[in-house]
Amino acid sequence: MPVINFLIYLLTMIGIYSLLAMSLNFQVGFTGLINFGQVAFFCIGAYTSSLLVVKAGAPIIIGFLGGIALSGLFGYIMSIPTKSLKSDYWAIATLASGEVVRLVALNEGWLTSGPFGVMSIPQPLGWLFSKDTYPLFYLLFVIACMVIVYLFLSLVTNSPFGRNLKAIRDEEELCLSLGKNTQNLKLQAMVVAGMVAGLAGALFAFYITYISPENFKPIETFLMWAMIIVGGTGNHFGAIVGAVVIQLFNVSTRFIGGYVPFSSDFMASLRMVIIGLLIILFLLYRPEGLAKEKKKVYDLKSRDAG
Amino acid sequence: MNNSMLTITNLQKNFGSLRALDRVSLEVESDSIVGLIGPNGSGKTTLFNVVSGFYEKDGGEIYFKGERIDGLTPDKIAKKGLCRTFQVSKAPEKLTVLENMMLAAKSQIGENPFSAAFVRPRVHKSEEANLNRAMDLLEMLQLVDLGNAYAGDLSGGQKKLLSLGRVFMVDPDLILLDEPTAGVNLTLTMELLKVIRGLQKKEHKSFFIIEHSMKVISDICDKVYVLNFGRKMAEGTPEEIQQNKQVLEAYLSGA
Repeated sequence: MPVINFLIYLLTMIGIYSLLAMSLNFQVGFTGLINFGQVAFFCIGAYTSSLLVVKAGAPIIIGFLGGIALSGLFGYIMSIPTKSLKSDYWAIATLASGEVVRLVALNEGWLTSGPFGVMSIPQPLGWLFSKDTYPLFYLLFVIACMVIVYLFLSLVTNSPFGRNLKAIRDEEELCLSLGKNTQNLKLQAMVVAGMVAGLAGALFAFYITYISPENFKPIETFLMWAMIIVGGTGNHFGAIVGAVVIQLFNVSTRFIGGYVPFSSDFMASLRMVIIGLLIILFLLYRPEGLAKEKKKVYDLKSRDAG
Repeated sequence: MNNSMLTITNLQKNFGSLRALDRVSLEVESDSIVGLIGPNGSGKTTLFNVVSGFYEKDGGEIYFKGERIDGLTPDKIAKKGLCRTFQVSKAPEKLTVLENMMLAAKSQIGENPFSAAFVRPRVHKSEEANLNRAMDLLEMLQLVDLGNAYAGDLSGGQKKLLSLGRVFMVDPDLILLDEPTAGVNLTLTMELLKVIRGLQKKEHKSFFIIEHSMKVISDICDKVYVLNFGRKMAEGTPEEIQQNKQVLEAYLSGA
């Protein structure tokens, strides 16, 4: 049943990229931190989790936790220069950090096997399922992670903490004048975002069971940005919607190669052109994205009664 | 010094070769309302920026409640109980008026991701208390009806009022107001002055106010400092200042 298999693959990838988009949206849409190196978290989560298991022989759960933790730590490191760099300069620095992480993975062969990548990553609970049912199990696992992260991030942003982040995004000096330690708040936001994207990396590595630096090129960050622009910034649901739209397009056009008169190389380039166009159109005509940022509305009437 | 809320000695600030503040010394006593006037470009806002930690000083000392605060970051100074508003009001675009007010409440529960996610009942309780206080303040500022409007959509005068509400919400001991009544209509201005007086009398807050309207100054200030070209030019009661020849000249020649 190739159609079902394809659908499961598509949904799994949508789930994984939803996590990445939610993480990016948490930084960009909620905190105003323009991160062009989002793929670094993805890469660190994938490599750390798989290397812990494949090379160090740790249990898979430790691999996952390690990937999440190290990615969170990287978020902490990335947040340090926000202290002295203005947001646009910081954005440029993040672009570099994404590539630095990939180049470390490519060149530190003793640890990462360089361009050959990490192979034969085991499947979590693989022995419990047959080869046919395993992808379905993994899809459910990814969706469960997605739902938990969605609920967690919703709680985190619908709180005084989330309000502080939005205020930093809109008026950082005001936050300082009200006694908010904005540096510390950004740090916390970056750690949370790093952990979420690290989880996505681990889920990705243990899904496709083989990772290499090729998987973590800057174009991945570009796709995540396309997701939050199309889906809508400042809204977790929007990030998921964006991941659905972009992945649906990105993955499905890989399989129509036989039906169009282009070479696959041309098709790959055309895909990016179309996504680029989509971004421009959204920025021009629907900058709030498909799902608008939600307004917190207080009930002003109930007070009179009480 | 015991009675002093804010003491500034020989404060200096340069922008390149421009002396924006030239050895300015002044004092705000606790429980008082002090005005700061001067022609445009005389260094009033610069003084506020240095005191509140947004600019680094180039010389001199600043004491708040007897404690040295120069060199501290703005958030640390605000936490100690010295808060300021901005001349051009800052209004987070996509936060509503009520969210702005709630934002300002100090030491809230749920200001880090962990407590935000895992101690919801306590967060909820503190939010409720803050909401009540915010509504009371908005009522006073006649902004209740706009409670759910985005701060970015307010008029200039309304943003001024909101910035007052926010700073009252922080509940500091000393409040620096940068032109609090600019763009606010006369009736409401009078109302605001009453509020400020009330806070000083009942809650023993001190105020340090930049203002251009002499009427406002003489209405509420116990003492006035005059800056001109970054230097302290005069100090005294509003009556004394209004009769000071030098001050009148500075204002007239500047205009």
